Amino acid sequence: MLFHTWPFLIFLLIVVPVFFALRNTRLWLPWLTIASYFFYGWWNPYYLSLVVYSTVLDFCLVALMDHCPRTTEKLSFWARLSRPRFADPVLKLAFLGSLGLAVCILALAFFGPRTLRPAMGLLGALVLLMAAGALYSSRRIWLLISLINNLALLVFFKYARFLVENVNSLLAWLHVPFKASDPSSLMPFGFQYLLPVGISFFTFQSLSYTIDFYFGKVYRERNFLRFATFVCFFPQLMAGPIERARHLLPQFNQFPPIRLQNFTDGASLFLVGLFKKLALANYLSFYVERVYDSPRAYGASSLIVATVAFAWQIFFDFSGYTDMARGVAKLLGFNLILNFNNPYLATGLSEFWGRWHISLSSWFRDYVYIPLGGNRGRLWQTYRNLFITFFISGIWHGANWTFVIWGALHGLGVLLTRELERSTFYVERVPRLVKQAGVFLFVCFTWIFFRAESLSDALLIVRRIFTAAWSDPQVPLLMVGVVALVWFYQMLYESRFRELLAAGVVRVGVAVFMVLYLCLCSSGGGAFIYFQF
Amino acid sequence: MSAPAPAPTAIPPAASVGSPEVPFGVNEMRLNGRQWLIALSIIACLTWLTPRFWEKCEEFSTGPDYRIPYDLSKDYWLYARRLRQERDPAKILLLGDSVVWGEYVLPDGTLSHFLNQQAGTADRFINGGLNGLFPLAEEGLVNYYSRELRHRKVLLECNVLWMTSPKADLSTDKEEQFNHSRLIPQFFPKIPCYKAAANERLSAIIENHFDFFAWIGHVQNDYFGQRSILNWTLEEGEGYPPRYPNVYKNPISQITCRVPSAPVDDPQRGPRSPRHRPWSEAGQGPTRFDWVPLESSLQWRGFQSVLKILRERGNDVLVVLGPFNEHMIAEDNRAPYRQLHDGILSRLRQNGIPSIAPEPLPSELYADASHPLTKGYELLARKLYADETFQRWLTR
Repeated sequence: MLFHTWPFLIFLLIVVPVFFALRNTRLWLPWLTIASYFFYGWWNPYYLSLVVYSTVLDFCLVALMDHCPRTTEKLSFWARLSRPRFADPVLKLAFLGSLGLAVCILALAFFGPRTLRPAMGLLGALVLLMAAGALYSSRRIWLLISLINNLALLVFFKYARFLVENVNSLLAWLHVPFKASDPSSLMPFGFQYLLPVGISFFTFQSLSYTIDFYFGKVYRERNFLRFATFVCFFPQLMAGPIERARHLLPQFNQFPPIRLQNFTDGASLFLVGLFKKLALANYLSFYVERVYDSPRAYGASSLIVATVAFAWQIFFDFSGYTDMARGVAKLLGFNLILNFNNPYLATGLSEFWGRWHISLSSWFRDYVYIPLGGNRGRLWQTYRNLFITFFISGIWHGANWTFVIWGALHGLGVLLTRELERSTFYVERVPRLVKQAGVFLFVCFTWIFFRAESLSDALLIVRRIFTAAWSDPQVPLLMVGVVALVWFYQMLYESRFRELLAAGVVRVGVAVFMVLYLCLCSSGGGAFIYFQF
Repeated sequence: MSAPAPAPTAIPPAASVGSPEVPFGVNEMRLNGRQWLIALSIIACLTWLTPRFWEKCEEFSTGPDYRIPYDLSKDYWLYARRLRQERDPAKILLLGDSVVWGEYVLPDGTLSHFLNQQAGTADRFINGGLNGLFPLAEEGLVNYYSRELRHRKVLLECNVLWMTSPKADLSTDKEEQFNHSRLIPQFFPKIPCYKAAANERLSAIIENHFDFFAWIGHVQNDYFGQRSILNWTLEEGEGYPPRYPNVYKNPISQITCRVPSAPVDDPQRGPRSPRHRPWSEAGQGPTRFDWVPLESSLQWRGFQSVLKILRERGNDVLVVLGPFNEHMIAEDNRAPYRQLHDGILSRLRQNGIPSIAPEPLPSELYADASHPLTKGYELLARKLYADETFQRWLTR
């Protein structure tokens, strides 16, 4: 269900009033959970089981982690095996339960239907690890299980095919007579092998809770429904922003206060998001698609314009989705974090990443960069950590070499410009507009790899940009006009004339313009780009 | 992750209950209640006034023998406007599909033209046919865009062509693409071959219920080649790599405030057109049709709904069944046709609806299974006009 479709409006018209009608009961939270599951199930009801699975497992793992002692006691492996006594009855139950379950699952893996064997084997191993976690009362093992579980889901559904293809190519190149089978053959019960929408978002969100709990940053959530709603809260389930338990979970502790401002702010955010998606992103996508679908047919100017158009398309698409998500959450009385802060006005690459997809950037900072050592070690270690973080961030975006290169390019860019951006010369002497233009051009260059269908296409586009003839790019004036208008608005917003935009007449005028423009010009449109991640 | 686990820190008090404050956004588009009220009032006024104002400003000349041009077949707002223009209650609307519209003939070769000729009037009979229409879509057309017809005489054409096969009846399970899908019932009754997404169905319902959205459809149909303005700017021209002829054009300059008219001499239609020839010369032979029984026919159900709506609106309806090209039906296939034909007539009579089933025209006057040629229309008009039921209906 997409935010900019009529079914979503109907969904919202049912969910919001019922939610408010239940404010004096304990049913508002279950209602929110049901609505969120319905929202996800609308896309594919079978894959809802993944969300539920991830939620249940992380909820239980944190509960078990909570039963383990915080002080890490050195225990001999063999001594513990020979003395399976438990101080905590929950851990004892977990041990016996998981051991029994593991035996059953592994039996199924050995003697069950052939199609189920690989999946059951892996699941059995995971459950066996759970038994070990209970036996050793180890918080670390529980965390490890959560990491393995969430990342395994992600790897299987998102990267398995990519990995298999690459392994097969490598084996063929080495003349090894072995070919790994396609991951779709591992799907049990004949389920289709699809990329579950939003899997990268809900797994990361759920994972952040377990990691935060392990490091003592959040309390254990004892109410399953509250935790389930945190993981699957429908406004941000499909494409973020990736919320942290610290921020979102406490908001579900009690019914949010009903304020008129929530409605007006929510509607304002939603309208802006809708405008970005339907009037801008979709429009730009028509042009970008044509050029990027057959790059050989277009000259350098067209390729450059299409790349710049894609830069704006992805910004409008994703930030539009985030605005709508925040608007819907706000209607219900909940606050989601800011995800975009006019990124194309950044004056440095580090600043760009502080303005672009903020929730993901901060996730990688907190759960990858800092655990790797952050900037605590030597300079080369900081650079290494930065590069690894960006590299993983690239892979997160998709199972394709283009995304890997995109992440690596950003990593290299940050590495190369880090010292420059800190220099007095850059900070004080280089004009702001030049810095902004430099960052924008570099980001546009990297978008080539992000948008191209394949690595060879991306390289072809780069080559043609520098070698092909310049010709009329045939970009519609209307397109140039609306993008220029938005850019001008952003510039004005960050300038000292910002107050002009805050005038009531301007706000009302812009809202009326956006609604009428949407009615007159938009042509419906497809899914959000970030749904594929 | 080898760090020893510290004791849990307290959740910051601000975040522990209620909603923590986060920045609103990075723009000034933050309207308060009063501003939203003003904005919504302006939007409501504009959306209500614009189609009405547009109707006053836009030139739309109809005149005798006017029919909605082929290219504007999906401009339902224009259709409604046309009916609004024909205010004279003495005028009679001929409602139906391309048989009424005149698929192979020019405007002066249609049934309405020859009926006017018979009646000795210029425009008593109005061509209200739409190209590509069928009973299920006709239901939507009558329901949403023909409200001006209240208490008027309507000559309704019933074409058994739509029951010649489950595919024509839209009752197959396989997905089909067809014209006027925005007019058909979107949810109930379920049309099995219509597999549009819920969003598309709801869009159609909203467009049919709100004049403003239908008006937008009109602007897109008439000035932007049935595209949204944004799509129009990127319309592909010929050649490879493709050229885009509209990229530097000003979209506003496209709006000429004049409804486009049909070409004066349509090369696809009329006696001089290569298509205007008897069906037998077009290489078609006797055909076996897979007739759909009335009881299970969706199109028949749609036709009954049209009748019901018209009668509820106080319209005086005369149904003309056919003229179907019976010469085209294979010999052994005529009995089921006859059964269907008679079934329709008897059901109409049972409901007290006057109906005429003219004798089939001579074979050479048909262009295909149901469309007559110019001479066919002339003969049909003569037959109808001479019919006692028709005269009784006309004069009552």
